Amino acid sequence: MRYTRVHTDVQEYDVFARKTRVDPLHQVGSVVAPDDDLAMAYARATYDEERWVEMMIVPKAAIIQLWAPGGDS
Amino acid sequence: MRYAEWCIAAPTLEADIAAAAMGLDDIGHSRVLYGSLRELGPPDGAVDDAANYANVPYLDRPWTEWGEFVAANAVLDSAFTLMIESLANGNVEILRSRLKKMLQEERYHTLHGRSWRHEVDAGTAIDRAWRESLEWIGPENGDVDQLQRAGQLAHGVRDLRRMLAERLDGPGPPAAIDWGSWEPIRRRTRAGAIDQATLDMLQGLAEKRYMPAGG
Repeated sequence: MRYTRVHTDVQEYDVFARKTRVDPLHQVGSVVAPDDDLAMAYARATYDEERWVEMMIVPKAAIIQLWAPGGDS
Repeated sequence: MRYAEWCIAAPTLEADIAAAAMGLDDIGHSRVLYGSLRELGPPDGAVDDAANYANVPYLDRPWTEWGEFVAANAVLDSAFTLMIESLANGNVEILRSRLKKMLQEERYHTLHGRSWRHEVDAGTAIDRAWRESLEWIGPENGDVDQLQRAGQLAHGVRDLRRMLAERLDGPGPPAAIDWGSWEPIRRRTRAGAIDQATLDMLQGLAEKRYMPAGG
């Protein structure tokens, strides 16, 4: 029953939320987890300090970046 | 309370935070349940007395292995959630209206327990938690089945056992339960009780030490 390793295969998820229906979703943070289930549980536990009407998570790997600071644009 | 004890001892920072959050959820759930039950009044013949504090044996002592946390989270929490679902879908109006939010929060406990169960070899603890969950649900044709027949619970013992096995994706603990040694009030077969220090905190006695004299 001994725990010998922290997850060997994890990915990062960005967490998005909004307080009212008219607000846009904005990024409130990120979590690292081995699967979607645990990522959802972690996002809710970590970022539930506000009364969000909506929260969602997106695997960072699914985000397609067009440009970023410091890169060629 | 047992969850909260792991808020700086879990294997990852995220798991620390989740342990603290789930502990706070469950303290809130206890307050809602105790408040609702106080309004409904004690069952016939029962004494509403702090000395009658009852808990499953799994919670008697602090857990020393993360696998024990995971088993409690995956199995005991699932059994409690099933019972809450059954009450929320029964015919007692106070419980129907007040327990819905509890179920929304418990969904995240289920996700946490299910995922960690794949990560940790917690077989012995899983069997123990499962067995104690079945003891807590109780024997067939007992009080739970009576409440189900009266409509106060949406499910009877057989349904609850089956639903628990479906959620945990397994047949259940290997050893049969000796219902002859089952205590109907405390809903357990093993002797023992929660440690005094934890009980004091649960009953607010620890907080009273910091009250002004005469407060």
